Amino acid sequence: MKIHQREKNGVNLLEVDGEIDFHSSPQLREQLHQLIDKEGCKLIINLKKVSYIDSSGLATFVEALQRVNRNQGSLIISDLTTPVRSVFEIAKLETIFTLLGSEDEALGVLTK
Amino acid sequence: MLKAGNKSVRGDVLTQEHFELISNSEALGPFRESLRDRLSQSGLDEKGSSNVTLAVDEALTNVIRHAYGGREGKIRVIYEDFADRVEIAICDNGAKFDPTLAKDPELPPKKPGGLGCYFIKTLMDKVEYRYDKSGGNQLYLTKLKGRISK
Repeated sequence: MKIHQREKNGVNLLEVDGEIDFHSSPQLREQLHQLIDKEGCKLIINLKKVSYIDSSGLATFVEALQRVNRNQGSLIISDLTTPVRSVFEIAKLETIFTLLGSEDEALGVLTK
Repeated sequence: MLKAGNKSVRGDVLTQEHFELISNSEALGPFRESLRDRLSQSGLDEKGSSNVTLAVDEALTNVIRHAYGGREGKIRVIYEDFADRVEIAICDNGAKFDPTLAKDPELPPKKPGGLGCYFIKTLMDKVEYRYDKSGGNQLYLTKLKGRISK
């Protein structure tokens, strides 16, 4: 798994490339925490290149959302592939995360 | 890390393969690839195959995390393809761990964790656990064919 990080208009963009599982999720967790432990952080996680996620990956995102909320930040997950969205839906996570179809749409929400 | 082989088959089984993994998270990705390859030839629909892959991955993760607790140990996986179903047995000699006893998590989860056993139970049609001192943990997962997977 690779993680590409950049910034646009004050929003941190994290693009994940590969499969998120028990092996790779600690790397993702560490990188996320570096970004979200700042007050008022704005973060988009782009999952268009992620074809697989397991419960460890979901736990990583749930923990990240908790921290973002604690720090009065914003987190949007964009571009979920069909299999990844399906796993989010099994856990009913679409009800607590903001899941949007594209990075541009997410940027529009966080920069308006 | 990952060894595969064919052994004697039972009953009406079409394909039977044995795998041996070391309880290390690095083994998960390569094993998923092998499993996807077998499942693509099983006749299960794409969603069904994805569900089996996730359930087996969660079961293996449980063995690595809970049964062996980070220690190195062997995990034996038997993949069997029948006309009407796919069966996968996952066996290890780590500490006793029965995922079928795990309490279902609150959904959506308010805190991280607790989804792995839920996925195993939800995504497979039948889940059976057995334990004995010589055989250790034995988890039997069954997915029926000919159904449209949710």
